[in-house]
Amino acid sequence: MSAAAFPHRVCPATGLKVSTKAESLIKVNAVVAVVSLLVGAIAALLLVLTRWQAVHLLPAVWYYRILGVHGMNMLIFFIIYFEMAVLWFASTVLLNSRPATPRLGWFSFFLMIAGSALVEWAQWSGRADVLFTSYPPLKAHPLFYLGIILFAVGALTVVGIFFATLVIAKREKTYEGSMPLVVYGAATAAIIAVITLLHGALIYIPTFLWSLGLIKTVDPEVYRLFWWALGHSSQQINVAAMVSVWYLLSALTIGGVVLNEKVSRSAFVLYVLFISMASAHHLLVDPGFSSAWKIVNTSYFMYMAVLASMIHGFTVPAGMELGMRLRGYTDGLFGWLRRAPWGDPGFSAMVFSIVVFGFVGGITGVTLGTEQINIIAHNTLRIPGHFHATVVSGTAMAFMGVTYYVLPLIFQRKVAFWKLAKIQPYLFALGMLLLSMGMTFAGSFGVPRRHWDISFSQAPFDVPFNPAVDLVLAVMGIGGILAVTGALSFIAIAVKSVFFGEPVGTWQTGTDVVGIPQGLTRPPVHAANVDELNEKLHDPARGIAAATPGTLVLVGVFLVAFIVYYFTNWKLLSFLWRVG
Amino acid sequence: MPDAPPRAAPPGAASETPPLPQRLFDNVFLLLALGLVVMLVVYTGWGMWEILTMPAGTLP
Repeated sequence: MSAAAFPHRVCPATGLKVSTKAESLIKVNAVVAVVSLLVGAIAALLLVLTRWQAVHLLPAVWYYRILGVHGMNMLIFFIIYFEMAVLWFASTVLLNSRPATPRLGWFSFFLMIAGSALVEWAQWSGRADVLFTSYPPLKAHPLFYLGIILFAVGALTVVGIFFATLVIAKREKTYEGSMPLVVYGAATAAIIAVITLLHGALIYIPTFLWSLGLIKTVDPEVYRLFWWALGHSSQQINVAAMVSVWYLLSALTIGGVVLNEKVSRSAFVLYVLFISMASAHHLLVDPGFSSAWKIVNTSYFMYMAVLASMIHGFTVPAGMELGMRLRGYTDGLFGWLRRAPWGDPGFSAMVFSIVVFGFVGGITGVTLGTEQINIIAHNTLRIPGHFHATVVSGTAMAFMGVTYYVLPLIFQRKVAFWKLAKIQPYLFALGMLLLSMGMTFAGSFGVPRRHWDISFSQAPFDVPFNPAVDLVLAVMGIGGILAVTGALSFIAIAVKSVFFGEPVGTWQTGTDVVGIPQGLTRPPVHAANVDELNEKLHDPARGIAAATPGTLVLVGVFLVAFIVYYFTNWKLLSFLWRVG
Repeated sequence: MPDAPPRAAPPGAASETPPLPQRLFDNVFLLLALGLVVMLVVYTGWGMWEILTMPAGTLP
């Protein structure tokens, strides 16, 4: 089949070819992702109302059961189904290509559905009360492990189809030169997915056999070593996919440019090489590994992957700033930011994703991953405080933002409840920020994670916490309720739009249309005097401020916050661990 | 639906060979292999070696 002959439609907004076969697979994966998000969000509400000690809703058994359900639905099902949609979209639509083996794609999808259904059944029926991590010797029903294996095999097959589609697109010359940066980021996510799912298979297959009684034991330390190469690295797939979505949304919403292709691609390559080994963060207090192994691995091999995130954390906002300045928004340091389309949910979601991921998730992650500091944070609420800022405020927020563009571009439906959609990112971001900060501060006072009752009622001993803990747990609870409200609003918008939404039809460029984001109705274009503006912005006389002075100031604020938080934690450690 | 005008590169347009670093970065299978090797050596292999060479614990 030639490049031009495959069944497709041409997107009226972008001019890209949308393969009809790939489009169906994008849609079903996105829909199942939203269903998983719904299950996970309901579980989140129950959990936050239990950890908020003043409410303490669920009994102990159901707390741990729902905690497992929440982990699987949010960290695995929602995210990975959405990433499957991203892989189909990036390899076909963005490359103007036909998909390789769409039939195998459908088989993989149903394999993932069968796997996730088995896991849900095992968890809700109480046959897999082993939490998300399922550490041996805790043992679940064999179908729980089988479900995870089926899901992983299905996802790995889709990753294989993604690579095959890249080969087809290159062979059929559907694009010129190197593949676009967004596709490059998706390829990075796919490579990390192979590393991740391989480790998952290596540990879940023997654990499945152990649950069947076919092998006697699974070594807990070996399990932890391999499992975390799945459990943590799967969140690194998210990071690569999220950064790709940032670049995409930046271009779509405000005409963001790529400052330097070489620099951005180098950062993605650093992810490929070094980001997965951060799995060792979870093993920092395990006695079986040497300090050398821990420090090399938790440093992302001496912070090369952290450097990559900091590069993206600069290039994405700087690309936004330069794009806005080239459109003529040149006032002062932050005129470009003030004039940005804050009512476009795709834009606001992207900005909140970048800010909370970097300032809260990134800074806490590097700090908690330091071997010495980890001893005062391990297994406290600081850990979920960190990963709710990365996975939820970062990745989920970015995925929500891009959904506001996917609905009109792929589903060809207007965004329903448009006024609600405009405020949804604000609600969700505020809620998640309060939740993450509440957890982080509670953890700093020593409140443990994964603990049903920190008052230790009926226990023969007493564990007094600082009274401030009640306050920060209330902040966490209120934040959680706000965040769940934001998530449920997003689900209502997505479901109404997809199943009962108004078709997008055609619109006149330059005219606002209810239910269609501004990036589509008023596509960001450069100013008429763009060459003149570009020359002025890159005038050597501008010195260190260069073309993106506003972003340089923001990066400075970030670095100061990073230094203060990092060294404050060393100070806190010195209170606990006096030397000399 | 009729086909859109093809956006493929015209034959012979890419006659200039890209520089070596760009060709290396564009080779996703090379990156996949490197990513797997680094992880399997630094994290998995080294970690397993540490577990397997751990001295047996003795009761006091």
